[in-house]
Amino acid sequence: MSAAPKFKNHVKISERHGAGEWKIEKLALLALMPLSLWVLWSAFTLAGAGYEAVVAWFGNALNTGLLAVTAIIFFLFASLAWKVIIEDYVPAPSTRTTLINLANLVFLVLAAASIFFIVRVAMGSAPLPAGV
Amino acid sequence: MSNLPQDAGDPTGRYVRHPNGHVAPMSPFTDVWRWHVTMTASILFRVTIGAATVGAVLLLGWVAAVASGPEAYAKVLACSASPIGLFVWFGLSLVLFSFLLNGTRHLINDAGQGLDLKSATLMANIAVWGPLVLVVLFWVVLFAAGKVSL
Repeated sequence: MSAAPKFKNHVKISERHGAGEWKIEKLALLALMPLSLWVLWSAFTLAGAGYEAVVAWFGNALNTGLLAVTAIIFFLFASLAWKVIIEDYVPAPSTRTTLINLANLVFLVLAAASIFFIVRVAMGSAPLPAGV
Repeated sequence: MSNLPQDAGDPTGRYVRHPNGHVAPMSPFTDVWRWHVTMTASILFRVTIGAATVGAVLLLGWVAAVASGPEAYAKVLACSASPIGLFVWFGLSLVLFSFLLNGTRHLINDAGQGLDLKSATLMANIAVWGPLVLVVLFWVVLFAAGKVSL
């Protein structure tokens, strides 16, 4: 009926997802720690800054790159963290699956929107809404 | 606590009949516990993740304002510099410090380290109280540097 259990170092391997999601969540959190320090430093730099100063900050490729990386990793982490939270508090399978899919969709859209805006500012594109 | 008759042979009074009809001992110690700071730290990390999600959306709005040109950015800056705006940014910086300290605690514990009572308590205390101290220092420096003003 089901395949014979697989073993690795005499330890049974999970028949389903295994620890993959947990590991990705932890690695994302690990990456977010130094990035959070950088966000803190950037917040201090940009506090009260005017438009010209902010655009100059975005002109630095290191800043833009780190901001984009932070956005992607944060929303990846958020989707996994919210999955755990939803699984803890929503017992009905259908509602749970719907909510998890909805959360994933929202975080995907937020990550995409972040990259869209960051790239536009970094490229010095015309202010939005452009071309209307 | 038992919902079984005495003649069912339950001298402890700690056996319960589960909804599926099985008779089993009540889970031990579910009514013998007391609050510990590690529980506060654990709950606060979940709260922090929720608040950080809201913060990320606000930051996205800030980047969107930059992408929308000087007028849009000036409006967002005016909102940010208002007392309510400063309060929101103060809260978000508190969330950031909490994310850093509590996230580090979580990673250390996930690695199987610092799980003895003394280390766990110390790290939980740092994760719970540290952000409050650091955020006040951060804003004192921000005001002293003249970056923000009321």
